[in-house]
Amino acid sequence: MDVNLCVGCGACTEKCPGKFDDGYNADLKQRTAIYVEYPQAVPLKYAINPDVCLKLTKDKCGICEEVCPAKAIDYTQKEERITLNAGSIIFSPGFKPFDPSRFDNYQYANFPNVVTSMEFERILSATGPTMGHVTTFPKLPLNPKKKQDKLLAEKRKDPKKIAWFQCVGSRDINKCDNAYCSSVCCMYAIKEAMIAKEHAGGNLDCSIFFMDMRTPGKEFEKYYENAKKKHGIKFIRSRVHSVTENSETHDLNIRYVDEKGQIINDTFDMIVLSVGLEITQETKEFAQKLGIELTPSGFCKTSSFEPVTSSRDGIYVSGVFNKPKDIPESVLDASAAASAAGDALSAARNTLTKAVEKIPEINVVGDRPKIGVFICDCGSNIKGVVDCAGVTEYAKTLPYVEFADEAMYACSQDAQNKMVEYIKEKNLNRIVVAACTPKTHEPLFQETLTNAGLNKYLFEMTNIRNHNSWVHKSNPEIATQKAKDLVRMAVAKAALAEPLKEEKINVNDTVMVIGGGLAGMTSAKSLALQGYKTHLIEKKDKLGGEAHKLYKTSQGEDVQTHLNELIKEIESNANITVHCNTTLENVDGFVGNFKSTLKTDTTSFALEYGVAVLATGAKALVPTEYEYGNDDRIITSLDLDKMFKENDAKLDQLNSAVFIQCVGSRQPDRPYCSRVCCTHSVDNAIELKKRKPGIDVFILYRDIRTYGERELLYKKARELGVIFIRYDREQKPEVVLDKGKLLVKLNDHVLNQPVEIEADLLTLATALVPRKDEKLANFFKVPLNDEGFFVEKHAKLGPAEFATSGVFVCGSGHYPKPVNEAITQGRAAASRALTLLAKKDNLFTSGTIANVDSMKCSQCGVCVAICPYSAPRFATEGRFAGKAEINAVLCKGCGLCVASCRSGALHLRGFDTHQIFSQIFALGEAV
Amino acid sequence: MGNLLEHMGIERDRIHFSWISSAEATKFVDVVKEISNKVRALGPNKKLVKDYN
Amino acid sequence: MNDKDIKIVSFLCNWCSYGAADLAGVSRMEYPADIRVIRIPCSGRMSPKFVLSAFREGADAVWVSG
Repeated sequence: MDVNLCVGCGACTEKCPGKFDDGYNADLKQRTAIYVEYPQAVPLKYAINPDVCLKLTKDKCGICEEVCPAKAIDYTQKEERITLNAGSIIFSPGFKPFDPSRFDNYQYANFPNVVTSMEFERILSATGPTMGHVTTFPKLPLNPKKKQDKLLAEKRKDPKKIAWFQCVGSRDINKCDNAYCSSVCCMYAIKEAMIAKEHAGGNLDCSIFFMDMRTPGKEFEKYYENAKKKHGIKFIRSRVHSVTENSETHDLNIRYVDEKGQIINDTFDMIVLSVGLEITQETKEFAQKLGIELTPSGFCKTSSFEPVTSSRDGIYVSGVFNKPKDIPESVLDASAAASAAGDALSAARNTLTKAVEKIPEINVVGDRPKIGVFICDCGSNIKGVVDCAGVTEYAKTLPYVEFADEAMYACSQDAQNKMVEYIKEKNLNRIVVAACTPKTHEPLFQETLTNAGLNKYLFEMTNIRNHNSWVHKSNPEIATQKAKDLVRMAVAKAALAEPLKEEKINVNDTVMVIGGGLAGMTSAKSLALQGYKTHLIEKKDKLGGEAHKLYKTSQGEDVQTHLNELIKEIESNANITVHCNTTLENVDGFVGNFKSTLKTDTTSFALEYGVAVLATGAKALVPTEYEYGNDDRIITSLDLDKMFKENDAKLDQLNSAVFIQCVGSRQPDRPYCSRVCCTHSVDNAIELKKRKPGIDVFILYRDIRTYGERELLYKKARELGVIFIRYDREQKPEVVLDKGKLLVKLNDHVLNQPVEIEADLLTLATALVPRKDEKLANFFKVPLNDEGFFVEKHAKLGPAEFATSGVFVCGSGHYPKPVNEAITQGRAAASRALTLLAKKDNLFTSGTIANVDSMKCSQCGVCVAICPYSAPRFATEGRFAGKAEINAVLCKGCGLCVASCRSGALHLRGFDTHQIFSQIFALGEAV
Repeated sequence: MGNLLEHMGIERDRIHFSWISSAEATKFVDVVKEISNKVRALGPNKKLVKDYN
Repeated sequence: MNDKDIKIVSFLCNWCSYGAADLAGVSRMEYPADIRVIRIPCSGRMSPKFVLSAFREGADAVWVSG
C-alpha cells in the first residue's frame, strides 16, 4: 500500500477473498487480507497481510488493485531497512495477555463458553464481533456456515450467570511460572461485570472468584464497594479447582471450596478467565540484544530512584514491560521516559529544527464573499451514492458562490494544488469543502487555505460521506437531496466567516514547584536539567519531605542514601532556587503568566512564573484506635522504619511482632486504599525475620495488595514463616492491654475461632492522608476530591496535569504512592510542563474563541460564574472596567458563556449565533 | 425546554436531548431511528412555522 | 408521509455525538436520512433560540446531542 495515496475508503476490503483472524477482536472473528487495524485507526490507512493475500502468495486475485480508485495498491513493496540516528531510545514493547489454553482444569481450549477477559472485553464492545451483545458461544461466527457450528449456534442464549476467575496466569508457580501479580485484572474483572450487567439489564448474575481483591488505584476501592453493594456483584474468595461441561447444553459446572471449608457446586452459562500480563519471548530476546537487564519474571529491571531508566545508558522504558501496570501508570511512565530521555539530550535541543516559510495573508475584510465550493467524490465512496455532478451544479446557483468544482479526491495532493490555483485565479475568499469529516480533514484543507494566502478560518467543511453516502446507501435520491441541503447550509455559514486571529501567548519560562518531597524534587531536577529556571517552594525547613522517615524501598534500596544525593543535586543545580520555610500567599494570572507572593518568617517576595507543579504530598495518619498512644509497644509503620534506621537494640529482644493493616484506610470515613501499606508491612516483616529468624510475625490483613512484582515479597514472607491472618472490617482485631501484656484478639477466618496473640511489638499500618490544601486548590482553581486528593485532568489520559492549563500535579497529593511511583509522576509532571515550555515561541490561542461586545455587557456575571475554564472575568481597568472580558489564552471555545449571556454581548468566533442561524435558515429555505 | 414547547403547542416528541460518546456509533443510530419513528408517527410540524404566503 | 417531508435539525457536539456519527459512517450502518447536522463546539453552545428558530424554519423535530 502506498499510504500517501490511500484515502481509507475501504473499497478494497469489500471483495477481498483472503481471510485471517482479527487480532483486534481477540480473534473472535475474521478480517480480510487487506485491512485496517480498527475502524478508528489514525491514520485511516489500509494494509495487506502478505501471508494470506492471494496475490502475494499465489499471484492470483489482484481485485484490490482493480477496485482501488486512488491507485494506492502496490504489490511490489519490499521490507525496507531504515537507519535513524538517535540520542536516546524509549523502549515500550508492551505485553501479551496470558494464553490459558494449556490449563486443562479450565478447559479454555475445548469449552466454547470459557473465554478470556480479552475476548470478553471485545464481546462487550459496541464495535466488537457481537456489537456489544453478550451471548454464549461467542467464538462462533455470527452466521455460521459449517453444519457443526450451526448446531451449536442454535443453543446460543443470553447468559444469566457469568463467573470470573481471577489470577489466571498470575500469582501462580504451579501451572505456570508467573509468580508476580498482574496488577490490572481485579479491576478489569469488576469493570467487565458492571458493564455486562448494564448490557444485560440488571438480572445478570455475576460472580468473581478471587484470592485477594486488589483495587489499590485511585478511586478503585470505591468502584469495588459500589459493585458489591449497589450492583450486587458477588465476590467469592476461592480459587476454583476445575470446570466441567454439560455436553448437551454446554453449561459449565464448577466445584470450589468456600471460606468456611465447604465444597460447593455451581453452574454458569459463561466463565471469563481473568488472564494476566506476560512479556513475550520475542521481547525478552530483543531486550537481550539491546543489552537491557531483566527481572526473573521478564520485566525490565529499573531502580526505584530512576524508575524508567534501563540498565543500559540512553535506553528508557515505559509501560507494562516496565512492570505490570494499569493505564494511568503506563501514561505516567511514558511521560516520565520522555523527561528522562530529554534530560540526557537537553544540550542538543532545537539543533535539527527547520523553520516553515510563511505566506502573507490576503486581507479580505469588507470584501464581498466569493465562495469556492469543492465537492469530493471520494472515489466511489460519495459518488457511488450521491450525484456529485448534480450537487456541484446546484452549488453554483447558491448565493455568493463564485465557483464550484468536483474532485475525485479533494484531499489528494494534486487536488490541493489545484485548489490553491483556483483561489488565486478566481480571487476566492471563502472556501467550502463537501467531503468527509472535518474532524480528520479540516486541518489539511485549512493548511491549503494558508498556502493560498487565505486566513484558515475562512473555511467551512460539510460531511457528505460519513454522515450521508455511507449511511444512506440504499437511497441515492434522498442522499443527493441531503447533500444539497448540507452544502447550502455550509455555504450560508461560510458567507459569514471572518478571518480570525490566533494571538501569540507569551510564556514566562520560569517554573514554580510547590513541595520539596521526592516528587517535587524530581520534577524540579528534570526541569532544571533541561535548562529552565526553577523555584522549589518548601514549607518546612529542609527538603526531602516524608521520605526522610523511610528505611528501604520494596526493592531493598536504602532510601536515605538516595534521598541525600538527590537533595545535594538539587541544592547544587544553578537553575534551581530552593525556598525553604516558605509559603504561598496568592496566585494571579494564567498559563505562561502567573504571579505570586511568597512569604517566609521574615520577608515576603513576588515571583513570576509560567507553569506550576503541585507536589504537596500526603502524611501518615495518627491513629485513634487500637490503643495507640497508650503503650510504647504500639507504633506506626514509620516508627518501625525509624527503629530499623537507628538499628534500635529493642528489635533484637522481640519474640513476637504483630502488624495490623488498613488502619484508617478502606473504611467509610476514608474509603480509599492507601496503596503502600501492604508492601511496607510485608517488607518490614521480612526484615524482622531476617534479623531474628526465631521471631513470630503476624500480619492481620483484609486483602494483601502486593501488586506487580511486590507479590514476590509476599511469597518470600510466607516462606520465611510470617503468618497472615485475615479479618473483616466488621470484625476488626481487638487490642487489649492487660497487666503489662499486649494482647491482640481476632477471629481466625480459616478456623472460624477466636485467637489471641501476645505481642512484644504492634505496628499499625496507617493510612496516608492528603494535606487537603483548599487554599492552594483555590489559588490555582484546581479541584480536590472528597478525600482531599487533587483531581487530575483525566484519570487515564491526563494523570500528571490539571484541567487548568499550565498547572501540573505529582506525588502523594494526587494519590498515595510508593517511592518509585512518586518519582515517575514527578518526572511525568516535568515532562508535561516541558511540552508547554518548549512551545514558548509558537504558542497561540485558538481563533474560535469567545469575545465580548463591551457596549452590550450588563455586568451580570453569569459568564464569569459559568465558565469551567475561568476565561471570562471583569475588566479592572480601562474604558470598560467592570464589564466582562475574555482571556483568550484560557478560552476553549465551548460557547457555554455565549449561550448563557442574557445581553447578547458574547460572541463565539467561528460558531457565532448568526452563523448558526444562517445554517438553520438555509435549511428552512428548502421546505 | 420541552415544557415551553408543549406550552406553545409543539409535542414533546419533537425535541430530543441525548448524550452519546464518540465511540457509540450503535447508540447514535438507535437514537436517530427512535426520533425518526416518533416524529413520523406525529406527522409534519405545523406550529410556529413561518408562513411565507 | 413522504420521506422528503421529514426534517430533524440536529445539533451535535463536535467531540461526542459528531464523532459517533462519523463512526457510524465508517461502520457503514444505515439510518433514516431525516437528520440535518449542525456541528457545534460543545452542547453548552446550545441556546433555546436555536430550537425555536429551527421550528420556525419548518423543522419537524430538533435533536440536541452532547
